[in-house]
Amino acid sequence: MNEIPLWASETFWKKTAIWVTAGSFLVLVVLTMDSLSKTSAGSKRVPAYSVINKKIDYQYNKELHKFMPVISENELLFGKEYTEQEALQLVDLGKKTTQAKNCMNCHTLLGNGAYYAPDLTKAWLDKGWVSKEVREDMMMRFLMDPEKNARTFGSNRKMPNLNITEQEAKGIIAFLKWMSSIDTNGFPYNFKTINAEE
Amino acid sequence: MNTSGINGVIQKATALYETSQVCMNDFKSWVQLDSSHLSDGQRLAVKYFIVAVILFFAQILFGLLAATQFIFPGFLYEILDFSVNRMIHINAMIVWMLYGFIGCVYWFLEDESGTEIVGLKLGNIAFWVLTGAVTLVVLVYLLVQIGPGKDSSLWFINEGREYIEAPRWADIGIVIVMLIFFYNVVATFIKGKWSGIAGVLTLDLVALAGLYVAGMFYMTNITHEQYWWWWVIHLWVEATWEVLVGVIMAWSLMKLLGVRRKIIQTWLYIEVALMFGSGILGLGHHYFWIGTPEYWLTIGGFFSALEPIPLVAMVVHAVYDTGANAFKNSNHPALAWIIAQAFGNFFGAGVWGFMHTLPQINMFTHGTQWSASHGHLAFFGAYATINIAFFYLAIQHWRGDVWMGSDSQNTWRWKWALGLLNGGVLGMTIALLIAGYEQSFIERAVEGSTWGGYFTAQNHPSFQSAMVWRLFFGGVTFAGFVLLVWDLLTIGKGETRLAPEIIEMR
Amino acid sequence: MIEPVALQDFFITFFSSALIIMAGASYALLFAWSKVNTNLWIKIAAYCSYSILILSVMELTRAAQFQGYWLIISLVMVIGYFFAPIGIWYLCVKTHSDLTITTEEDTL
Ligand code: HEM
Ligand code: HEM
Ligand SMILES: [Fe+2]
Repeated sequence: MNEIPLWASETFWKKTAIWVTAGSFLVLVVLTMDSLSKTSAGSKRVPAYSVINKKIDYQYNKELHKFMPVISENELLFGKEYTEQEALQLVDLGKKTTQAKNCMNCHTLLGNGAYYAPDLTKAWLDKGWVSKEVREDMMMRFLMDPEKNARTFGSNRKMPNLNITEQEAKGIIAFLKWMSSIDTNGFPYNFKTINAEE
Repeated sequence: MNTSGINGVIQKATALYETSQVCMNDFKSWVQLDSSHLSDGQRLAVKYFIVAVILFFAQILFGLLAATQFIFPGFLYEILDFSVNRMIHINAMIVWMLYGFIGCVYWFLEDESGTEIVGLKLGNIAFWVLTGAVTLVVLVYLLVQIGPGKDSSLWFINEGREYIEAPRWADIGIVIVMLIFFYNVVATFIKGKWSGIAGVLTLDLVALAGLYVAGMFYMTNITHEQYWWWWVIHLWVEATWEVLVGVIMAWSLMKLLGVRRKIIQTWLYIEVALMFGSGILGLGHHYFWIGTPEYWLTIGGFFSALEPIPLVAMVVHAVYDTGANAFKNSNHPALAWIIAQAFGNFFGAGVWGFMHTLPQINMFTHGTQWSASHGHLAFFGAYATINIAFFYLAIQHWRGDVWMGSDSQNTWRWKWALGLLNGGVLGMTIALLIAGYEQSFIERAVEGSTWGGYFTAQNHPSFQSAMVWRLFFGGVTFAGFVLLVWDLLTIGKGETRLAPEIIEMR
Repeated sequence: MIEPVALQDFFITFFSSALIIMAGASYALLFAWSKVNTNLWIKIAAYCSYSILILSVMELTRAAQFQGYWLIISLVMVIGYFFAPIGIWYLCVKTHSDLTITTEEDTL
């Protein structure tokens, strides 16, 4: 009967598989190098850790057609101006604490994680902290004793006490403030920040 | 005083040990399995399968606890919090599936290479080391749970990164055990004969282990951290695991249906080309919103639109093969689960994946119960099913290749297990789909993803009842699991007719 | 640049996406079946599936507000999902076609 044509032969597909895989992987490596350099701390998309000294907001940008972080004048965290090095240390402590306390298995961060508790991407800017004057204090008290300072919006779901120390709580808040300054291509959509007028 | 206390403990311990020995022997005489039917590699494989089933049980148990907490938030509050239950739920899943895959490979390694396993002893040691490590990790998850914000917590308690929470020491252990496994596979093929299946398997295992290493590092910069995290998760489940299943499936179809090697291998290559061609850059669908550049919106959207194509190709080819090989199948439950795999993979990954993959809609579904809906159907449909199918192949051989057809005894058991497990997961998937739809609509779109918006969506009646339905179908899944274990232990017992042997046509 | 789906189009977006994949698969299956069974209705059903696919792609294009180069995805889906099943079918036939001739040299 009929011979196997080249395009249906084992060797042809073996070679195709190898080339397709190698090619895709190569493209991925190139894109990875580009993406990592464009998102290192201190880049346009991912600000330096000292951004925690600044006022951060999140607003709709008509020209770019999406919501964008807006970084403006000084707005110190815990009344202190951090050097780049100090800011790195504080944010690093906060990041490490979020992992050690397993935050990601209740919350989402940048939208990834679990769905039992609210997204933390823009938590620093959330209206839940009532006003900018009381925000830091409220966050500190909440993180260190979430059981007593819980606001469950009628859901009865309370964050457990995770033995977070004062220094760790400060770190977490710095980390959340820094994370809220990342350009996430407009996610979350239509988020109204604590700065917005009612 | 002191010594008598210790003596008492020793006495109790020996008594306990003796009773457990008696129970074990009773159990052995009840299941009547004859291990002389198994080769050395298959005996090792069976150990992996047993642990896999136990971990599958743990997965379902802790899933049920977590699902209960959605309805009664006070349940086990500050004893076993949601985060702990969920972590064990998804970790147990990843680990049991990997155990299953390793077992499958050890099962066919001797047959495929035509020789004995080179490092069998080493493989056995690796099994016990890995199992000991897994036990220890779970105990620490349960008893220690969390630590201070220091490196030591990440080294010894947990790394706090979804799916790959295992602490760093365990990561290193896992890599070592994987290297031993890899050595066994490669050295055995080198000693025996090499084949296309062997080649694909080897390269895939290199990729699978290499990717795991990409997820072992701590980074302050969360954008970078999540970038690498997705390398592990996505490139595992949408590339390397799919190909591993392709390899296992290739060998099984050759044995089960007698499909010729040349055809099987050509199709394995076709599948690799399509899977890796769409899946590697499909990674972009996780880089929409984590801070990475805008070009990922296009790349992710485009390549994940291609991802269903290999799944369609597999369905067509399966139907063609069924027609081309008017086969006589002697293991009905295994074949039924293989068919469940084809459908589960197609719907869970292909249909459910595509529904939320374009950035225009993922903007709203991202990080909602939508992802959970897709995650359940895809993981179960693509990977739980193939493992269960292989368990049936294994038990048939262990019983001495007896007939497992439609006129066997107690076929209702595997049929009900099949129906309850698939129906249960499908029910949960639909419940979560409704919850996810509501959540993306109210929380993400209308309320703009604020804290208040999150709870408005969580408190909505449709969400609340979806959570109840999810728990209900979780119970159905659990019932299916119990039946499955019962069936696996008893199927073929007392059967005397042998399965007609299938001659591999070369 | 993307234009997120409008609120009232959520449902139709999910629905048409699911339909694209399912109609694509059903077209592929029916096409394959029509090759082994000459019944005309199977062929008609295959092309019916494909037209559902086209309609779904059009609906998704509208709902997901594709514009500019995003339209390429719609085009690729319409063309790709038409030819892919045909290609896959011929691959099936041709990869299985050496049954009579090459078995001998294969066993060497
Ligand atoms: C067997 C294959 C697959 C498995 C096991 C799987 C599993 C999962 C899981 C568990 C998640 C949630 C991850 C998390 O916890 O955040 C996820 C997310 C996702 N999957 Fe899949 N998936 C598969 C195939 C696919 C395919 C083929 C597509 C696209 C066509 C897809 C599209 C997505 C998208 C877009 C997300 C992100 C959801 C979000 O933004 O939150 N998946 N997948
Ligand atoms: C009794 C059955 C089950 C119950 C009650 C259950 C329950 C749950 C719960 C409550 C979560 C957490 C979701 C959240 O963060 O809101 C979850 C996550 C998950 N479960 Fe299950 N589950 C069950 C069975 C399964 C099975 C059989 C599989 C797969 C084989 C599976 C795979 C997953 C995955 C992949 C996730 C993570 C999803 C994501 O992050 O998007 N589950 N499950
Ligand atoms: Fe993915």
